[in-house]
Amino acid sequence: MSAPTPPTDDFVVRRSVFLGLSIFLTATGFVLMLNSYSGQHKSWEDYVCVGVFPLLFSQIAVGFTLALFGFFDRLRGGDRHHIMRGPWREKEDSVPLAATAIVIPVYNEEVARVSKAVANMWRSLEKTGQIEHFDFYICSDSTDADHWVEEECAWLSLCQKLNAFGKIFYRKRRHRINGKSGNVADFCRLWGKRYRYMIVLDADSVMIGPTLVRMVRAMEANPEAGIIQTQPYMVLGTSLFRRVLQFSSHVYGGLFSQGCSMAQMSSGSYWGHNAIIRVAPFIEYCDLPLLPVPDPGKRHVLSHDTVEAALMRRAGYGVWIAYDEPGSYEEGPPNLSDMLTRDRRWCAGNLQHFWFLFARGIEMGSRLQIWIGLMSYLCSPLWLIFLVAGSFGAYFRARFLTLSAAPEDLGAATSSGAGLLLVLTLVLLFLPRLLGLLTTLPRARQFGGIFRLLLSALLENLMSVLMAPVLMMFHTLFVLLTFSGWQIKWTTQNRADTGLRFTHCLALYGWLTCLGLITYPIAGQFLGHPAIWLLPIFAGWTLAPLLAWVTSGRRLGRIFKSCGLFVTPEEAQPPPELQGLGDDGAELPPSPLWVQALLSPYVQAVHLSLVRQGPSGDGGAPTQSLAELRERLIRDGPQALDAKEKLRLLWDGETVFWLHQELWARPGTQLHPSWIHLQTECGNNRLLSDYLMAR
Amino acid sequence: MASITSPMPRDQEAWNEAYDRLVGFLHTFALGDHAYVSQLALNLLHQARDLHRQDPSRDPVTLTMEQAQKRLAKWLATNLEQEGTAPSHILAAGTIALLLSQVYRTAPTSFLANPLPEELRQALRETLLVTGPDLNVSSMTPRHFDYGPMLQFARQTWHRWDVKEFIVALLFWAGIYIVFYWWLSQLL
Repeated sequence: MSAPTPPTDDFVVRRSVFLGLSIFLTATGFVLMLNSYSGQHKSWEDYVCVGVFPLLFSQIAVGFTLALFGFFDRLRGGDRHHIMRGPWREKEDSVPLAATAIVIPVYNEEVARVSKAVANMWRSLEKTGQIEHFDFYICSDSTDADHWVEEECAWLSLCQKLNAFGKIFYRKRRHRINGKSGNVADFCRLWGKRYRYMIVLDADSVMIGPTLVRMVRAMEANPEAGIIQTQPYMVLGTSLFRRVLQFSSHVYGGLFSQGCSMAQMSSGSYWGHNAIIRVAPFIEYCDLPLLPVPDPGKRHVLSHDTVEAALMRRAGYGVWIAYDEPGSYEEGPPNLSDMLTRDRRWCAGNLQHFWFLFARGIEMGSRLQIWIGLMSYLCSPLWLIFLVAGSFGAYFRARFLTLSAAPEDLGAATSSGAGLLLVLTLVLLFLPRLLGLLTTLPRARQFGGIFRLLLSALLENLMSVLMAPVLMMFHTLFVLLTFSGWQIKWTTQNRADTGLRFTHCLALYGWLTCLGLITYPIAGQFLGHPAIWLLPIFAGWTLAPLLAWVTSGRRLGRIFKSCGLFVTPEEAQPPPELQGLGDDGAELPPSPLWVQALLSPYVQAVHLSLVRQGPSGDGGAPTQSLAELRERLIRDGPQALDAKEKLRLLWDGETVFWLHQELWARPGTQLHPSWIHLQTECGNNRLLSDYLMAR
Repeated sequence: MASITSPMPRDQEAWNEAYDRLVGFLHTFALGDHAYVSQLALNLLHQARDLHRQDPSRDPVTLTMEQAQKRLAKWLATNLEQEGTAPSHILAAGTIALLLSQVYRTAPTSFLANPLPEELRQALRETLLVTGPDLNVSSMTPRHFDYGPMLQFARQTWHRWDVKEFIVALLFWAGIYIVFYWWLSQLL
């Protein structure tokens, strides 16, 4: 397959302005920093600060420049060179569609939530009249036997309810290799050839039908496009933490994406979900290479999306961000602890990307993405170093001043350079937020009105200020753990706003409280007045357990919602595609569900139909270990098996069939007592058949 | 006959268990008509008792449930016109057909009944479970990837740990740091 010609556009001008402005702002900050030290005695901590400062300041400068680009692009009404604004939009409906797979990788997720999302997207696509072009694939990597069987039942129920047999497919992967990227690659290997495009979603993603259709048309109209990433907005949050995150993603997120799109154009970001991908080049060019590290267990790329985007660009295809397409949603982490769990994975993944920074053949724009991703976590230890060195510097300077009694030499904090630097830093930090707010003002009604929007933004900023030092400490820890070779396991993301226990918060964040309570008086004692500048940091540390606890529950979230604070457009007017997704108390089949695959004839039949090898029917003898496992299950009950043993049994169709026969046919004296109870429960429970038949 | 009319207490216990087990099993099919389930259970139990008379060494529970499974497999095979198919296959495919056609719900009294009305047979046979599209296998393998200078640097660092080289590297970086320190002190 020959790669198409890269798109010609005004890349050079935009990138020059972007890089030029970022470098100019960083250089200005650096000069002001150097100026603040002029005429003073310098010690080692000052050199550390000076060494670290440009790296830290460049990140603020890059963020500011992106927001400025986004703001400018919004003011001028959008980018006319953007892929979503091409001439094809004038006759959009005439652009034909092509076979598209909607791929949903799941891993021990809440099955009812995923099913409802698929059903809502299906109905939304049906309304567009283009459903025949789309197939859904639920690609499971679940390692929990109950989840597996529940997914199978939910699939059947979904197909039955939507009359979607042959359009919605369920696939369980036997060997969970390479996590989510391996799951998607497995789909590509097995069925990729059947489709021209695939839309990759996360288990918590939802996209509306018209946007799904438009994405396919955009790809059809632009054969040079390899990936189009939509801007997913966070929705369905009920805890205060999640509501604040989704408010912030609505007010500021779009601005940064738009800026990124304007600066990067066809070298945009891919975030691994809510994006459409051209399948053929993805199969040909985007399989992830192994990392050249000595330990074979650490060669897999953990965070695949950025690398896949770089490989797609390397193959000559564009990666675009469709920043203003509506109806692309995801759910955020429900509390601080879950966000940190996610960040730990992302940190390990982003740091791995270092390998690709200097790799040959990678495009400049992709290198920039990799660099920004790397620095987003490396900045935390650098910030900590800067704070510690800066505090020592301030202490030694204060001591020197006291000893020398030289009031004219007041030190960095009061020099004109430092003052200007402080102003510049605050501008670079908060102006993007202000710009985001300004662009949101015309839609203030969707956010609860101008007053509530402003108040929400103020509170969001306050929360960000308090959270930032907590994140700094944890990100530093994650970076150190990653460098020390601590293995990171991909875990299921928690999406339930069930709240955290205070004891959990105290155990996890208590050390920060101690750190804050101990270091602030010390800083006050030794630094004097300059210690006031460190107050937000110490306050964030001290309040961390309380902050994590109060923001994790629904109660406070509801109170703020009833006051009209942190309201988002989807909360004010929920689209039909999101309806029912946040509901609790979904009709749940009896538990433990995996046992139903052995007892219930219906569940067993669904399972056997989906397990590829199926029952052999010839009664082939099982291996000795499998035979022992079967007998142990019958003799000691389902609780005697561990997770792996359950999976092993379920994967063997012949065993599932044999166990079904034996569990019903053996006299009670030969069965563990729990089987008698489970048989009765299975016979009496109509919920299961109702669930399967979606009544 | 004497053993049926005046069973031994142990035997009665076993038959009671067989009945309970059979009713429980039949209820897993979610048939709406409970009276029919009881009637079916008694009928199957009667057949099992006949068999037990021929071979009293068999356990009543095992015998009854085997009889039920056999009858179910035969009934499904007949109505799906798949006689000769292995029981494990016919039971899985037939049960799915039963579920999807909703015969168990619309006509519960037809469960295991012979002959099955033609429209119900048709409904069972027409039910098709599409579990997945045909595979269309592609080869997706990583292309050659050149990690560039970092790989060479890393290889030299990882695979050739030598004290001498380590000291040289240490001195080299110390030199760099001293030059940088000197440059900064001149600059500031």
